[in-house]
Amino acid sequence: MVTHRTRYLSRRSLMKGAGALALGVSARSLLRGPVTARQTPTTRNIEGTELKILLWQHFVPVHDAWFSAFVEEWGAANGVTTQVDYINTAEVPTTFAAEIAAQEGHDLVEHIASLGQYEKSLVDMTSLIEEAKSRHGEMSGVCARSGYNPTTGVNYSFVHGYAPDPGDYRKSLWDTVELPNGPTTWQELLDGGTRIKAEQGIQLGIGMSNEIDSNMAGQALLWAFDASVQDASENVTINSSETIAALDFMKQLYDGAMTPEVFGWNAASNNQLLVAGQASYILNSISAYRAAMEQNPEVAKDIFFSYPLAGPNGTALANGHAVYNAMIPNYSPNQDTAAEFILHLVNNYEAKTRESLLYDFPGFPSIAPDLLADGGWLDVDPFGSDPVDKLTVLKTANDYTTNIGHPGPANAVLGSVFGEFVLPNMFARVARGEQTSAESAAEAEAQINAFYEQWAAEGLVGGGR
Amino acid sequence: MAAPIAPPPTVPRTAPDTNRYLLDREKFLGPIMLLPAVIYIVALVGVPLVIAIAYAFSDVTVGDQSIDWVGLKNFRNSWGNAAFQKALKNSLIFTFVTQALVMILGNILALVLASDFKGKRLVRFLILLPWATPVALVAVGWWWIFSPPYSALDYILREIGALGPGGWWSNDNNAYWLALPDRAQFSVVLVQVWRVLPLATVILLAGLTAIPQDVREAANLDGAGYMRQLVWIRLPLLAPIMLVAFLFGTVFVFSDMIIVYIMTRGQPNDATQVIPHLAFMRGVQSGDLASGASVAVFLFPVLAGVAALMLRTARRAETS
Repeated sequence: MVTHRTRYLSRRSLMKGAGALALGVSARSLLRGPVTARQTPTTRNIEGTELKILLWQHFVPVHDAWFSAFVEEWGAANGVTTQVDYINTAEVPTTFAAEIAAQEGHDLVEHIASLGQYEKSLVDMTSLIEEAKSRHGEMSGVCARSGYNPTTGVNYSFVHGYAPDPGDYRKSLWDTVELPNGPTTWQELLDGGTRIKAEQGIQLGIGMSNEIDSNMAGQALLWAFDASVQDASENVTINSSETIAALDFMKQLYDGAMTPEVFGWNAASNNQLLVAGQASYILNSISAYRAAMEQNPEVAKDIFFSYPLAGPNGTALANGHAVYNAMIPNYSPNQDTAAEFILHLVNNYEAKTRESLLYDFPGFPSIAPDLLADGGWLDVDPFGSDPVDKLTVLKTANDYTTNIGHPGPANAVLGSVFGEFVLPNMFARVARGEQTSAESAAEAEAQINAFYEQWAAEGLVGGGR
Repeated sequence: MAAPIAPPPTVPRTAPDTNRYLLDREKFLGPIMLLPAVIYIVALVGVPLVIAIAYAFSDVTVGDQSIDWVGLKNFRNSWGNAAFQKALKNSLIFTFVTQALVMILGNILALVLASDFKGKRLVRFLILLPWATPVALVAVGWWWIFSPPYSALDYILREIGALGPGGWWSNDNNAYWLALPDRAQFSVVLVQVWRVLPLATVILLAGLTAIPQDVREAANLDGAGYMRQLVWIRLPLLAPIMLVAFLFGTVFVFSDMIIVYIMTRGQPNDATQVIPHLAFMRGVQSGDLASGASVAVFLFPVLAGVAALMLRTARRAETS
C-alpha cells in the first residue's frame, strides 16, 4: 500500500515537476535572448592576453551566472583567457587594497561605491569614457560624476551603471494611514510611520549602523534638508543649521517609528526585515522586492515603490544604491584587454539590465531603450510584478539620483566618510540621546576635517578651501 | 668440549665520515633545525611588524604606497581621536573581563572533567568543539543567534514569556543584543568567552592531572576536606599553569578583530570598537594605511609585555 502510494505520488510529482520545469524554461527563454546580444569590434590588439575580473556578488544572484557565461563567450571570441571571481561586496575594498599592495591580482575590479582614495593606483579612464561616449552618447549624471575627481581631472573609475534607490513601502499598511501611494515627504514618513507602529506594531527601517545602506540613508536625509557633507567646492559643510534640523528630525523618526535594531544592522538587515513582513518602509533597491517575490510572494505583492522623500523645502534626491565603479589597476599587464571588455559590457547593457531583473541601470541610457520607453520594461515588468507597472517610479531615476558627496564630487574624503561610517554614527548618537544634534554635528565635522587634511596632503582634494 | 670462540673480525679503520660528524655536532645541527622556524617568524611576523611601524611614521595610503616620513603625526591624530579612545578602552575591558570569566569557568570545567563520570569523553569533546570551529563561522553563528528578525535567542525568550507584549523582561519582541551598547558589549564578551574557554580548560586540566598523587593522598590523610584541598593545594599548584592560560587568552582576545568585524563592526557608535578592528577600518576600508598602522602599533606594547611574561613563566617552569 505504502509502496503503491509512494510510486503514485512520485509519478505525479515527476509529471508536475517536469511540466513546471518546461514552463519555467520556456518563460525564461522568452524573456532572455542569447548570452551576448552583439559582439563589439575591438580596436586594441588583445588576442592571446588574459583578463581576470574581481566582481561583487550581485544582489540578484541570477545575474552572476549570466555574467560568467558572457565573459567566457567574449573571451572565446577574442582569444582572451578569462576568469571571474565573485566576492561579497564588503570584501572588495579589502581584497583590492591587498592586490595593490602586492602589485598583482585582477585586471579589472568592480565595486558598488566610489573608491576615490585608491586613485593613485588606478588607470585614468578619461579616454575610455570619451570613446564610449562617442559610441553611445552622454552618460547619466550619477555615472559621469561618481568616478571623477575634478581636483586632479582624473576619472579613476568607469561607472558603467547603477541601481536606483527608491523607497520600498508596504501598501496595505500605508492604506490605513490614508497614504495609499506611500509617503512622498519625510514629514509624511514620520506621521504615517508613527501611526503604523503605534496602531499595528510594524516599524520602519532607516539604518543608523556601520553598513553601506545606512551611509546612503544618511546622505539622502541630509540632502532632503538641504544639508551636505561638503559644498560644490569641497569645503566641509556638515556642521550647519540644516544638518542639525536633519538630526532633530531623525530623533523624532526613531522615537516614533523605529526600534533599536537599526543600530545593529548589516547591509542585508533591511532586506530581511521587509521580506519577513516586519517593515512598513525601507530605503533600498528593488533587490529586496525581487527576493520577496521568491521567498514571500504575499509580502512581495504588497511591496510598492516611492520616489525619494522630499524635505521641508521640497529637495528630494537619492544615492545610487549600488554604483558600478569598474577600475583598472596600474599594475595590470592587461589594461587594454580590460578596457575592451568594459566597452563590450557597455555595448551589451540591455542584456545586463534584463539579466539582473531590471536591477542594473545603464550608465549610457541610449543602450537600453526598452527600459525607459513608454510601455517599456518599467511600465510592464517582464518579471511578473503585480500590478505590472509597479516599477514606473524608477523611470525618472536618472533625474533624482546623484553621487555621494553631492553637491561636490565623489572624492577620497567621501570614501573615508563612508569607510568609517561617520554619517550613520552622527545620526545614531542623537537618536539614542547620547548627544545633542549640535554636539553630534560638531563631532562629525571634526572627523571629516581630519579626512580633508589627510587627503588634501595627498593632493586628492582641493577646491575652494 | 665447547668450541673456541672466534675473535670478532677486525674492521679496518677508515677515515671518519665528516658529513655525519658535522650533523652530530650540536652547534651545527641546532641552528639548522631552528632555521625554518626562524625564517617563518621573521617572514610572517618580523617583516610585517617592521613594515607596520614604518607605515605608522609615514603618509602611505592604499592608493599611494610611497613612504614619506611624517614623524609622530599619525600617533598624535590617533590618540586625540574619540573612536580610538573608545577602542583602546574596549580592548582592555573586553580582554580582562573575558579572561576573568574564562579563569573562573575554566577552573570549574577542569575540576569537573578531572573527575570520573559517565560520558566524560563526550563532554570533553563537546567542550573542545568551539576551539576547533573556525572563528569566522563562530561569529556568523552567533550573529544569527543575536540578530533580529530571525534571532534564535529572542525566539526562545519570547517562547518562555520574557519578551513580547506582556513579557516579564521587555514588551519588545526582540532584545536587540547587537544594537544597544551594553548588550552589544555583553554579546562580544560572551562570544569571546565561548571561544577561548576550551583552550583554557584543556591547559588547566593538564595542570590538574600533573599535581602529584602523593600530595593529594597526604592531604587526605591529614583530613583536609574538598574546599581546603582546592584553596590550599590545587589552586596554588595550578597558579603557574593558570598564568599560561591567562596569557594565551589575553593574546587571542586582545588581537582578535573577526568577532567584532562580523558581529557588530564596532557599533553601536563604537561601543564595541576594538583596536584591531579600528586599525582595519581606518587603514584598509578608509584607505589611510598610515593612520591604520599607527592604531595597530598601539597593540604592540601590550602584546610584547604579555609575550615577555609568557617567556618568563616558561623559563621558570623549565628551571623548577
